[in-house]
Amino acid sequence: MPAWIAVLAVTGLVAVTLAAGWALHRRDGRARTVDADAAEPTLVDSQLRGAHATLVQFSTQFCTRCPHVRRMLGAIADATDGVAFAEIDLTHRPDLARRLHILQTPTVFVLDGDAYVRTRFTGAPTPRAVTAALDRVIGDPARV
Amino acid sequence: MSDIPGIDPRGPRFGATITSVLLLVTVGLGLTALPGATLSARVTDPAFLLLAAVALLFLWGVASPRTAPWGVLYRRLVQPRLSRPDELEDPRPPRFAQGVGLFVSVVGLVLQVAGVPWALPIAAAAAFVAAFLNAAFGFCLGCQMYLLLQRAGVIGRATA
Repeated sequence: MPAWIAVLAVTGLVAVTLAAGWALHRRDGRARTVDADAAEPTLVDSQLRGAHATLVQFSTQFCTRCPHVRRMLGAIADATDGVAFAEIDLTHRPDLARRLHILQTPTVFVLDGDAYVRTRFTGAPTPRAVTAALDRVIGDPARV
Repeated sequence: MSDIPGIDPRGPRFGATITSVLLLVTVGLGLTALPGATLSARVTDPAFLLLAAVALLFLWGVASPRTAPWGVLYRRLVQPRLSRPDELEDPRPPRFAQGVGLFVSVVGLVLQVAGVPWALPIAAAAAFVAAFLNAAFGFCLGCQMYLLLQRAGVIGRATA
């Protein structure tokens, strides 16, 4: 291959990777409101769940951003009445990851007081997005 | 997890920056020169030698992250000039990512030895994407892939 085509290909590779990085960055931590028709009472022990909501973080031992998200969610749970925080390590739980369709860590679920999954965050959410999801769950406790 | 000392998260990103430059040069060299006809020509190809060097650095990063060259360079030259990191990071994810990089590079090297055209620049390009995303966006592709690899049954089967 002539050198100029190789240079062009290498430049294209950098451009495509940059675009992919931007796309990943934008998609990261997106919230998805869930219409769960089944509760997940076994996910977090009932004694560890919050009265109004529970933030459940899924991590693995090979997750760079999980410690940071753990601190952020823990602080929000500490500061909010009736909200608890729980972390589940998926490193040796492929069965759970498959059942819950979790493809990457961190993934964060917001459970309501009855252990229904109300919001899913794929990636690292912002504190503001977590608070908004909690407001939606707590402000609307009488789930139909 | 608190029993494992944390590392400065900027260290692996510094290393990933150097690695991505080396891999980009590898891709360029691999594209300009097609694999030679003879085995000795293929393994003395500059792209092959450079990717082999990168693979050795990945191996070093997996086997002994504390002594790996880019990490040492970072701690000696860069870290003293920066402010303290806001938070420390678990050293296992970047080490795992080095293992993924090693695997991809070795696949490229083996296919080049076997005389498969384009295999070496393609493998180097894949490793470049992962290293560059880490350097530029702090995005650990190898770590993101962990659950996917696990689901495929490649790694981390249930210990129960």
